[in-house]
Parts: sequence; C-alpha cells; structure tokens
Amino acid sequence: MTDNIALEIKGLNFYYSGDSLALKNINLTIYEKSVTALIGPSGCGKTTLLRCFNRMHDLYPKHRYEGEILLKGHDLLANGMDLIGLRSRIGMVFQKPTPFPMSIFDNIAYGLKLKGIRKKSELEQRVESALKHAALWDEVKDKLAHSAYDLSGGQQQRLVIARALAVEPEILLFDEPTSALDPISTTKIEELVTLLKNDITIIIVTHNMQQAARISDWTGFLMLGELIEFDATEKIFTSPSKKLTEDYVTGRFG
Amino acid sequence: MTPSTKKNPIDLLFAVLTAVSSLSIILLIAGILVVLVFESSLAIHKFGVFKFIFTIDWDPVRKIFGAASTLYGTMVTTVLSMLIAIPVAVGIAVFITEIAPDFLKGPIGVTIELLAAIPSIIYGMWGLFTLAPIMANYIEPALQATLGKLPLFSILFKGTPMGIDLLTASVILSIMIIPFTASISRDAFNLTPEVVKESAYALGATKWEVVKNVVIPYSKLGVFGGCVLSMGRAIGETMAVAFVLGNNHQITSSLLNAAATITVSLANEFTEADSDIYLSSLFYLALVLFVLSFITLFIAKLFLIRAERKYSR
Amino acid sequence: MTHETKRKIEGFVALFLSTLAAFIGLFWLIFILGDVLINGIGALHLNFFLNDPTPAGVAGGGLRNAFVGQLMITAFATLIGVPIGVLGGTFLAEYARGKKLSQIISILSDIMVSVPSIIVGTFIYALMIKPFGHFSGWAGATALAIIMIPVVLRTTEDMLSLVPWTLREAAFALGAPYYKVIIQVVYRGAATGIFTGILLSIARVAGETAPLLFTSFNNNFFSMNMNGPMPSLTVSIFQYAMGPYDDWHAQAWAASLVITLFILLITIGGRLILKWRYKL
Repeated sequence: MTDNIALEIKGLNFYYSGDSLALKNINLTIYEKSVTALIGPSGCGKTTLLRCFNRMHDLYPKHRYEGEILLKGHDLLANGMDLIGLRSRIGMVFQKPTPFPMSIFDNIAYGLKLKGIRKKSELEQRVESALKHAALWDEVKDKLAHSAYDLSGGQQQRLVIARALAVEPEILLFDEPTSALDPISTTKIEELVTLLKNDITIIIVTHNMQQAARISDWTGFLMLGELIEFDATEKIFTSPSKKLTEDYVTGRFG
Repeated sequence: MTPSTKKNPIDLLFAVLTAVSSLSIILLIAGILVVLVFESSLAIHKFGVFKFIFTIDWDPVRKIFGAASTLYGTMVTTVLSMLIAIPVAVGIAVFITEIAPDFLKGPIGVTIELLAAIPSIIYGMWGLFTLAPIMANYIEPALQATLGKLPLFSILFKGTPMGIDLLTASVILSIMIIPFTASISRDAFNLTPEVVKESAYALGATKWEVVKNVVIPYSKLGVFGGCVLSMGRAIGETMAVAFVLGNNHQITSSLLNAAATITVSLANEFTEADSDIYLSSLFYLALVLFVLSFITLFIAKLFLIRAERKYSR
Repeated sequence: MTHETKRKIEGFVALFLSTLAAFIGLFWLIFILGDVLINGIGALHLNFFLNDPTPAGVAGGGLRNAFVGQLMITAFATLIGVPIGVLGGTFLAEYARGKKLSQIISILSDIMVSVPSIIVGTFIYALMIKPFGHFSGWAGATALAIIMIPVVLRTTEDMLSLVPWTLREAAFALGAPYYKVIIQVVYRGAATGIFTGILLSIARVAGETAPLLFTSFNNNFFSMNMNGPMPSLTVSIFQYAMGPYDDWHAQAWAASLVITLFILLITIGGRLILKWRYKL
C-alpha cells in the first residue's frame, strides 16, 4: 500500500431529482493501487457514491452534486469536466455481465476504437494484453471471432473487465460484480481483483461482507447516505471505532 | 397444466367452441387461397403463370391481360416509399428513445400512434386535394429542374408534372408507413437493457456512439422485421394510392407518369369487369398479391420472433 | 481537429438529424389533421347529417344514409367478428396454451392482421356476391368481420395470458369447472384489456374502404336493407372525392372529418383505459 492518493472526496452531497438527499457530507480518501470496499445495508448509498466517481448520474435528469471529488488535484465534479475523457480514466464493471452484441474481439476493442485506435496490429496486441490481464486469454484465444454471448456468465464478467482494462484506466469501479455469479466464478473474479490492484486503483461496492474482508485493503461503511466509518479493512472488521459499524459487521443488523 | 375437460359436458362444449373459433384463422387463409385460385382458374388456364406475370398488356377489349404493369407499379411505389420512410422512421425512434426529455417521450409516442390509426382513405383524400397540387406546382418542377438535369436521373423526371403519378403516390405511401415503422423500431430499441447502454457510456462513448454501436446492433432483428412488415403493408395499401396514381396500366421509367398497382386496379376495375376472362384476370391479380404479401409478412414475422428470442437470456 | 472533437461533431449531427426526423413526423400529422379540420368544418352543417344525397349537381344533399349504413355495417361486423375473435383467443391462451398449434395459429393471426383488406373484399365477393348477383350489406359486414377477427383474437390472447395462473388455481381449488373459471374469473381479470382490444378493432374497421367497394358497394338512397347494396361513409368519400362536383368534394371532407374524429376518440380512449388499468 502506498500513500499516493488517487481520489480525494471532500464534503460530497448528492441529490436525486432535485431535492432528495442521497449522500450526506462524504469525506473520503482513496489510495492508489489498493482495493477500497464500500459496504453497508441496502439503500445506504454505496452504489450512489460509486456512480459519482465516473459521473454516471449525469445520464439521468435532475441530479445535483455538491462538494468536490479531486482526481489528481482536479475536481471531476466541475462544470466543464470532459466526461468522455473522464470515463476512459475511470472505468466501471456492473452487477450483471453486459457484453455488447459483437464478437469477443470487438467487445474488447470497442473502447480502443472509440479513442481512435485503428491499426490492426495495435488493436490485436492491446486486446491480447487486456484479456491476459483479466485472466481470460487462454480460454478465448481460439475463438476471438465468436459472439460474446457464447461465453458463460463468469467468463462474460471477465470479458467485461478486460474490456474496461483495455483503455488502461487509472481507477476501476466494481458495482457488486459477483452477485450474479456462481461461487467458482466469484473466486476467480476475487483473485483477479487482488492481482489487478498492483497496477490499478480499485473501488468495489459489495453487500457481501466476507468478500470485502477477503480482498480489500480499505473499507468504508455507509448507512443512510452517510459515511459512518472509513479505515483499514483489518481494523474495521476486528476493532471498529463506531458501535454502528461493529453492529453491522457482526451481523446484528443488515 | 390444462385440466382435463372430460368430466363436464359444458366444459367440452365450451372447449370445442373456442377451438373452432381459433381454427377460423386457418380456415380463412386456406379459404381465401382456394377461392382465389378457383376464381382465377379461367385466367390461369388461358395465360399460364410466367406469361401472366411478365405480360405488360392489360387490354379488356382484346381480352389480353398481364400482371407486369401492376406488379411494376406495386414494386416502384413500395420501394420508393420505403426509401423515404425508413430513415425518417428510424430517426424518429432514436429521437423518442434516446434524445427526447422524459416529458416529451409520452406525447410524441402517442402522436405517432395516432398517425398510425388514421384510416388510409384520409391520406388518399389529403393526397388528392392537397399534396398532388403541391407536387404538380412546386416540388415536381423543382425536381425536374435540379435532379432531372443530371444524366442518370433525367429519365426519372420526364413528362408534364400533373401530380397524379408514381412519385406522389410513393410520398403518400411513405407518410402512411412512417408511424407504424417508427413504432415498431421504438419498441425494438427499448428492448436494449439499460445496463448494457451504461457499460458503453462507462467506456466514454458519446450518446450517438451508444446508439450506433450498441442499441441499433442489439435491436437490428426487430427493426429489420418491422421494416419488412411495413413493406408487407405497403404492398397491400389501396386507398392511400388510389386517388393519386391514375390507374394507368403501363410500365414507365418516369416517376412523373401515372401507373397502376394491383390494389388500385382491383379497386377501380372490379365492378367494371364486363367479361368472364376480365374478372378472372382480376382475381388472378388478387391471387398474386395475396401470395406476395403473405410471404413478405411471414418473413417479417420470422425476424420478429427471432428478435424476441435472441437477446432474452 | 482531435479525434474526440470529431466524435462529438459526428454525434451532434446524427442526433440533430434524428430530432429533425421527429419533427417531420409531427409536421405531417398537424398538416394532415389541420387540412381535414379546415376543409371539413366548412361543410359540416345540420343538413349534412339529416339529409340524404340529392341528384348529381343539385345542392343541399347530405350523407344521413351513409352514416346509418356505416353504423349498421360496423355493428353487424362487430357482432359477427368479436365473439369469434374472443373465443379464438381464449382457446389459444387457455386450452391450447404452450402447445405448437397455439403458436401456429398465433403467427397466422398476426399475418392476417396485415393482409391487404382488398383481398378480403375479393374473397367475399366470390362467396357472397357473385353467386347471388347483387351487392349486400351482409357481405360488407362479413368482410369487415374477417378483418376484425385476427385483431381481437390476438389482443384477447395477450390479455388473458397476463392474468396470473395462480388466480385460476385458486378458482379450481374451490371446485369450479374450467369453463366457469374462464368466464367468471379470467375474463373478469382481463375484461378491460379485452374491451380495449375490441374498441381498437372497431376503430380499425370503421375507416376501411377497400373491403366494402365490391361487397356492400354503395347506395345513394337511404336504406336499412342489409340484403341489398348499403350506403357507407367510406365508399361515399371515395366516390365523392373522385367526382367532379365541388359540393361533393366538400361533403367528402366533412365525412372525413367525422370519421377521423371518431377513430381518434376511440383510439385515445382505448389507450387511456389501458394506461389507467395497467398503469403502463
């Protein structure tokens, strides 16, 4: 774990549909090349918080941000922020695997083509690199032209991760990436996350506390839109400072 | 799942009643085919199959009839109207699903459905009294002066613009099929899961890139099926074109000339047929149209079924 | 120009064209409806509804006979077509649910919905006009009924399928035979949907001209005799519009206005009912 900071969240408030306050005064530091887990009961705002980082909320009307999220010193909530550029620096993997209706190769190459990379040799090299990075290369190297829908659920999720990795983001956001997968695929994804953190900063939302305990370095516990506690994972799960945190991680509610 | 109906006689009666009612569909289709073949047998016997399809003559006096001129008219109006309608309809569908703010989506959707509900005779009336004069006085002369001067296009725009011609008929037809095509395309686009679109946005795609690379490929089976369905309807459209086509049995290269489609000929001549062979030939035309539209609609349905199945995993 | 700027421009142009297309679509609707309104209102006066047609060229005629004729033909078409359609849809959704036969009939039905209506006219002509030597309102009604059947059948099938199976099981558990379950429970659950389907099918045939052209034909006099040629609004519009007299043209517009309003009202009404009931 290094002490370099990837994201600095300062005084973040978030409103849905004008006045419905979903996140209250969030102050948080995400460290580079580490895994930060966001946990909390349903509806606590962890996914809402995650979607602030790549400004997913901007796709839907009547949202409002207050506060700052600093990416290497620049506030990504600022009005003139280039969202397209932002989203190639901060990638996202969703709960359900979402392959595009294309071949495996074209799926991975999609983000690269968006950025204007056309040269076949460069595309091939970067697709192979991304698939290796996502631990999927050996399973699909002979069928890159096949439809992405031919893969199993677990493979599709790794495909989606490879797709996000291909554009070489600084930060990768995971929104409950294994909740739709079987235990074996889940283990594979968790191993992958542990490998990836050597190169990329990872923020993962999960409702599975054991998962958070297994793979994360830092953990933030949210409830009703507020960040109750944020600390090293080991501390959160063995000796949390707040009673609410302790009640949650020991299963007294949730 | 379905419980046995053996015990109760009323149950059996009701079941039989409903079964017979549903079989009426099969009976109707078979019945239409049989009746049309029977009624055209005189003409089939006299003109054969290939000869009838390729004969241009339509002469009630000499009693020689051929389907070529009406098939030509049907094909030209259908193709031309589709060329105009499909881009507009898909554009409308993209607007409704991706661009329009939420408060507009409903009203515009309703507007499209209302347009689709207007009966074809209204389009025909409007075409005759409003569009045809505009075409004759402004649009057709303008086309003659511009596109008509280009080498390849000049044959398309020869003749005196009167407004009663293939071009006007095609324009009316296209206005008629736009709402229907837009509606089906919109439904197809809406089948794309929100999460897949979000994934594309998360990679930094612009809104248009999401439409072009994700939504349209995802729904292409449904959109294509919708287009084939619209084509099937265009082939069989009568009243919208009957007012502005002229019913002139000829194959003409100029879009500014009158022509005839199978439907328009049937509408105008069915009650005028004064000989058995004339009537039989009209039935023969009806048979050709029935087979043509049935096949087109069947293909459309196949695409639409595959569209529903393919991505619902 | 950077690649990114190029992407943004391409996107803007494409989306602008789509918006243009949408407004073109809206434009036609307003243009056409506006025309029908403007031209039709001029000829709408009481005599239009109360008088029968006068001889050609004589002013003051109306289309009372056509209104009555259209009503009668449509009413009988509904009486013939709707029961067959509802019962047919019931078979597909209940007794034959999931079976191959049900799928086949469903697909054929969808095709029949879009089959050219003039073909139905020729079919009925061969069966009901040619053998008897005269036009008849019954033939017109039958032709319209044939067009209604597939529409009603499919909407009934869809609406019945929306009723959850558990509702039927609850009725069975109380000891009801299947036909009672259908009539007393399932129909009641799907009633609004089926009713709307019927309304929309009526809207569909109310504007049909082609199938009437050589079945019920037309009649310049008032007639309620379904055994002979019957006057209808749609065929009258066709004849008047193609005719030489301005007075006829005016009446054609007026009749068009009435039909359009009628159909739009039913269509909007039907959708509102569906929206309210199923909270779409």
